[in-house]
Amino acid sequence: MAVADDSLLSDDLLRQLMATGHVDILVGVPTLNNASTVVDVVRAAQRGIAQYFPRARALIFNADSGSDDGTPTLVRDATTDDTGTVSASRPLRTTNRISTPYHGLPGKGSALRVIFAVADLLSADAIVTLDPNVISVTPDWIPALAAPVRDGHADLVAPRYPRAATDGPLVTQLVRPLVRAAYGWTLYEPLMGEFGCSPQFAAHCLEHPALGTVIPEDVDVWMAAEALAKGFRPAQAALGPRLLGAPRKRPALRDVFQQVMDAVCACLELHDAYWLPRGAADPVPCFGTLNGAVEPGPHPDVTAMAEAFARDVAALRPVLATILTETTLAGVTAAAATPPRLVYDDDLWAATVFEFLLAYHRAVMTREHVTQTLLPLYLGRTAAFLMQHASSEPAIVDAAFESLCLAFERAKPSAAALWKKA
Amino acid sequence: MTQMIAEAVRQASVNFMDTVAMLLPRILITASIVAVGWVIAWALKWAVRWILIWSRFNHFCERIGVSAVLKTADLPPADHLVSLIVFWLVWVGFLLSGVDVLGFTALEGMVRSFAQFVPRLIVAIVIVVLGFVVANFAWRATLIAAVNARVPSPRVVSGAVRALVLILAGAMALDQIALARTIVLTAFAIAFGAVMLGLAIAFGVGGGGIARRILDHWFPEHPQAAEQEEFRHL
Repeated sequence: MAVADDSLLSDDLLRQLMATGHVDILVGVPTLNNASTVVDVVRAAQRGIAQYFPRARALIFNADSGSDDGTPTLVRDATTDDTGTVSASRPLRTTNRISTPYHGLPGKGSALRVIFAVADLLSADAIVTLDPNVISVTPDWIPALAAPVRDGHADLVAPRYPRAATDGPLVTQLVRPLVRAAYGWTLYEPLMGEFGCSPQFAAHCLEHPALGTVIPEDVDVWMAAEALAKGFRPAQAALGPRLLGAPRKRPALRDVFQQVMDAVCACLELHDAYWLPRGAADPVPCFGTLNGAVEPGPHPDVTAMAEAFARDVAALRPVLATILTETTLAGVTAAAATPPRLVYDDDLWAATVFEFLLAYHRAVMTREHVTQTLLPLYLGRTAAFLMQHASSEPAIVDAAFESLCLAFERAKPSAAALWKKA
Repeated sequence: MTQMIAEAVRQASVNFMDTVAMLLPRILITASIVAVGWVIAWALKWAVRWILIWSRFNHFCERIGVSAVLKTADLPPADHLVSLIVFWLVWVGFLLSGVDVLGFTALEGMVRSFAQFVPRLIVAIVIVVLGFVVANFAWRATLIAAVNARVPSPRVVSGAVRALVLILAGAMALDQIALARTIVLTAFAIAFGAVMLGLAIAFGVGGGGIARRILDHWFPEHPQAAEQEEFRHL
């Protein structure tokens, strides 16, 4: 077990934890102004524990990073019809709930440090972390994420959701194929919104200086990459569709994109000794079966996106010329030349992403500029994919996702060779 | 009479020979200084060029946009240009030192003036290089931000930013070497003011529609409603 940093846990929290004692399952909920959705998440967790682990000692632990909308109070007061109000003073084998603010750098990384420190202190057998903004969470998600860990099959259980063509293109078009090709594992959701993990993996993360410091946000992708790179056993749990509630203030796409790409690129820099020699992707075992209707979600105006792509490529051409090879730049220019019709094929997109990755690695310009220049190309690729598949059957969309991942795997060896030379 | 003429010629010959005897060593010293200076300058030129090639100076100049400007102006590559500057600075220094040895009154003080000028020239060159670095960074940052923020004509906006930074750096460099300082400062002030006034008038009067679109984009009436229309990328 790792030695938890005492400064992470306040005296008041330690008193509550001592009253709670050892737990079998710890469900962590990191929050920041999630009043509109967090109650349903906590209730689903309570029901999941009561229904699937009735004999387990469990704790729902909320690490709040300074909400001003009453989120911690809502977590503490959340009740369910079948479990009733519970508190730390009730006997063992009840679902305890603790909500505490944490100090330090704001962000999910810091919240996870506190959750892992609590799990370490209480010697939890399995840790499940839920996204407080998900409105489609059901009690089934708790055993799906916890059981593979409790049964000794995995150290990290990532979620797997059914995805429509319009659902989460940043994952399906960029992060998933890139992480899969680089790390050589068929992990479908590297940006794990929720996950289950073993105490050993939690202790490893807790000891790692990067958690909550180098990567304060989007720590999920770092955890997934760290698990793969350090030999922890990965698994996936088939969950239902992932629907998010409306946050109080949605961050701009460029900020989200920057944050995600910074995290992914930082992981690739950190783990290059592991991923460079990796070959074709090995399957990550998936527990359960994907079910639930896929919500297609709002359709973007792909014609406007294609026209914007043409304008953006023309405007950014001098910058793109310093990042892309002549062949890839010619391909991108040709793809952008015929709006509103747009064909940005898998191999060209894979080459584009890997060349951007190399530019990031070589620091041919400020790294922030490299990732921000990729954003218009990502939007162009997304528009091209949606033009082709927005109305396709789920099986065809899944096949297209798989085809894209294979294109990335084909592009990886040459990129890895260039990475080594850089 | 004849004797007087002969005496005068003889005296002139003696004077000429004295002058030659006095100047010849100086000329030889000057020639030696110039020749040795040329050799040293030539050696320095190649040493500097070798160091610049080894340190991938041209690659750096490409990144900061200097190479493109040199190419447009039909000038040699950056490493060659810098080594040429070093050669001429060193050799001209030796040349002036050699000329100073001749003791011509009209040329006295030139070495001192040159020695005072060289540091200012170096500072001016550094200002220009830094100007290129800053201008290129500002151009790229503006271009990428403008494209991602859907600002109309991003290349015009970013090009204007780069031009402004370069003009500012150029004016500072010229001021540093005190080259027609009054004219440069006056011209810069007039040109800068005219450009700013022209842009303001063009933006406000001629580009009223564009200004409205930009302001609407930056300050939407219902930002959340506009955001909600977009689909989720995560």
